[in-house]
Amino acid sequence: MDLAIRALVLYAFVFILTRVVGRRELSSLQPFDLILLIVLGDSIQQGLTQDDYSITGALIVVGTIAVLQVATSYVSFRVPLLRPVLDGQPIVVVEDGKPIQKNLHRERISVEELTEEMRLQQIASIEEVQWAVLETSGAISFIKKTDS
Amino acid sequence: MIVEERSLRAGAESGPVAAPDQIDLGRDRDLRGRGKDVWIRRSLMALVAVVPILGLFNLFGQRPTTSKAAVPAATLSVYAPTRLRGGLLWQGRFHITAHREIKNAILVLSTGWAEGMSINTIEPSPTGEASKNGKLEFTLGHIPRDRSFILYMQFQVNPTNVGHRSRSTWLYDGETELAAVHQKVTIFP
Repeated sequence: MDLAIRALVLYAFVFILTRVVGRRELSSLQPFDLILLIVLGDSIQQGLTQDDYSITGALIVVGTIAVLQVATSYVSFRVPLLRPVLDGQPIVVVEDGKPIQKNLHRERISVEELTEEMRLQQIASIEEVQWAVLETSGAISFIKKTDS
Repeated sequence: MIVEERSLRAGAESGPVAAPDQIDLGRDRDLRGRGKDVWIRRSLMALVAVVPILGLFNLFGQRPTTSKAAVPAATLSVYAPTRLRGGLLWQGRFHITAHREIKNAILVLSTGWAEGMSINTIEPSPTGEASKNGKLEFTLGHIPRDRSFILYMQFQVNPTNVGHRSRSTWLYDGETELAAVHQKVTIFP
């Protein structure tokens, strides 16, 4: 029972954490971010199972997390009202070749970071972009102007 | 007015190209009705940050504190953390200062000291260990006047040992109780 409660508490904590730290932090995997993610996982693991090395313990923890994940996904699917809370909402960050500074600022995205993302998607100039949307996953999707 | 028209729902025309499907310009570009979201996010982030700050102030342990009982015969000082967390290694230090000769010093610990704890070591080893009506009894022996005796005990918290309980320490000279220290211990998950 203890393990299931631990898994539940840590799942809720990590869920809240991922919703509040900002999606860019989670989607960008710079070397430091990668190390940070590993450290985060390791810290959670220690609190989760502590000195329990048993298969039964692993089954309880993995089972609990799997059930919670499916339940969250199901609730998000069935209750559209909760979707913004559970999944977040997209934000338009570029319109008609112009960055929307207010939205970029809100998500702590610099224009340099935005143009880096553009280059990764083979877009050389922001002028070519009709829409750029920061998706709920933290990725930025670009829709080019039809004539570009 | 133009802005209002451009902020129509998904699929609406906006300048030269319509907004992508499911993108609501009012909601996703102009952030209408989402003003409070950022404050909720900041508040939750502040709550997350409060936890380590409280930790710095020893709310979750394990900084040791000293509890003391002084009587004409002796002073009993217990130096140990009163807030602990599952899995922690910690130390209890029992400092007895004899103001007069103690012929047969006996330290008695309530069950709160041992419940859900691994006792890794006791140094120096008591000359005798027994149960005193369910409590742990350690016979330390003779302590001359104006001399000290320090007993170190090393513990580890059992991870499932969570809660709040009392923890008492008594000093006896043979059958005579000399001093007592009463504490409360809280163990966080």
